[in-house]
Amino acid sequence: MEKVKMKLLYSDLKPELDLIEKELEQAVDSESPLLNDASLHLLQAGGKRIRPVFVLLAGKFGTYNIDVMKQVAVPLELIHMASLVHDDVIDDSEMRRGQLTVKAEWNNSVAMYTGDFILGRALEYITDIDSPRLHQVLSQTMIEVCRGEIIQIEDKYKLDQNLRDYLRRIKRKTALLISSSCELGAMVAGADEKTIAHLRRFGYFIGMSFQIIDDILDFTSSDEELGKPAGSDFIQGNITLPILYARNNPEIYRLLKDSLQKELTDAERLHIVKVIRDSSAIDDAKKVSEKYLNKALGELDHLPKGQASKTMRKIAFFIGKRKF
Amino acid sequence: MNEQQIHSKITSVETDVLKAVKQRTLDKFTDGPSVLRARLFFLILPFFDNKMWSTDIERSAKTVSIVYAALQAHDLVENDVLADKKQQLTVLAGDFYSGIYYKMLAETNNIAMIQRLATAIIKVSEKKASFYSSEIRSMDEIDEAIKQIETELLFSFYNFYGYQEYSHLAVLMLTYNRYTSELDCLQKDGQSLALRKMTQTLRHPLQTERWLLDKLDSLYEEILQTIGTHNFSYELKNFMLHQITPHQHRAEQLTREG
Repeated sequence: MEKVKMKLLYSDLKPELDLIEKELEQAVDSESPLLNDASLHLLQAGGKRIRPVFVLLAGKFGTYNIDVMKQVAVPLELIHMASLVHDDVIDDSEMRRGQLTVKAEWNNSVAMYTGDFILGRALEYITDIDSPRLHQVLSQTMIEVCRGEIIQIEDKYKLDQNLRDYLRRIKRKTALLISSSCELGAMVAGADEKTIAHLRRFGYFIGMSFQIIDDILDFTSSDEELGKPAGSDFIQGNITLPILYARNNPEIYRLLKDSLQKELTDAERLHIVKVIRDSSAIDDAKKVSEKYLNKALGELDHLPKGQASKTMRKIAFFIGKRKF
Repeated sequence: MNEQQIHSKITSVETDVLKAVKQRTLDKFTDGPSVLRARLFFLILPFFDNKMWSTDIERSAKTVSIVYAALQAHDLVENDVLADKKQQLTVLAGDFYSGIYYKMLAETNNIAMIQRLATAIIKVSEKKASFYSSEIRSMDEIDEAIKQIETELLFSFYNFYGYQEYSHLAVLMLTYNRYTSELDCLQKDGQSLALRKMTQTLRHPLQTERWLLDKLDSLYEEILQTIGTHNFSYELKNFMLHQITPHQHRAEQLTREG
């Protein structure tokens, strides 16, 4: 439902997004029936397609040509998909978006080859654009995203980490790819340097806000809404913003510390979810998300007014208020 | 260039590759990048054979080696085990190395080579996946898949820079190396994806061992012939011949058979 609502926000992009969807399907077409099935399985699970949307919207601030824009929009979504299929192996996740993950449906090896295949397709696709700068930005982003995930593994189960550790991690894990989507979209559309910079920062701030909300929803949504057990991030040892705030209460701190040292029953998991949900941590985390959201909106103030700016603003507001 | 100099050059390129992909956490918790010297040799062979060479070409050769390491890391991800820290970081190691290859070529504006390697990654992934499906059944199909997995990335480099004259020898020697490793693994009662598929096809590990021994014998003969047809220097020929050890595995088999 929320996904549908979000898609309504950019309904004026529907014809272009339908085209992107078709291109995505073609892009994952493989000579290997197994990789074909696994990639389509992943693609058909859907998603918000937030990265292609930002590529297209950013392109509206330059000379917009869908045939050029799709050359960036499609590979950025593919790169995101490739990272998801590998993330499910890292997190041992059985479910994503309410359906079995590739690793659960097949096995880890098939998930690895599917991710490699999709990444190969993304690079094959985007290298039709002969812009060294674009490739330098994107390759650096890909490296930083990996570094973010490596840090996430290093920081797992460390309840005493600080806010800066968390922000540094989500910047790399999520914000940079959204930021690059905006930057590269504007770049291929030939927007001027100032516009590119504002859009890059807009993407970064919106990405930070988006991830914080995601981390909040891990506690405030139901298993059904999430398509996976609520509190999964914490179960996997990921210390997210609500946890960082909740641990300030000594009683909750002790509960969290103990919980991180053992395997939790379902009842224990639900208890922790309730404790966090009922604490002030959710509101505190929301305030941080709002700060980033306001910064994102501030960047839009520097850009020409028009439909693209209006849609970006609506998406920003929606991200701040989304339920799952 | 004598054998020692060839070894030194390979070591120098190997060091550069390892330096390019160095990452503290990955180095600490994973097996580290797999950079096979035999592959490096074939990547630098045009240089040893006094063909056109430049720092950009050498950089491309290094990135090919990095892509091999990326895909190899993902081969190490195990099935049916809980994702421990090593396994999680091995997944990320492969992704990280892929990012490095992309960045290294983007920095020298070698976008065409990025594309060639991306196409090769697709083909190799497809072939690797075929081991998990019923696409390949016969030994010939397994052999073809292994050849492609071993050489596709190298060939994208050869084709890009016009070094195709080494392709035939490379496929023979790299396949020879691969089958040697598979035989080693089999004789130590180990398992691999390829061995499982071979034994499924041939129905018994002893048949697989025999097939591998015969294959190594025929590859050895062909390698000797092929080296002879090239106009390599005496030292280069010698170096290559020292890389293959034809009778070791047969001896192992005979010892076990009494």
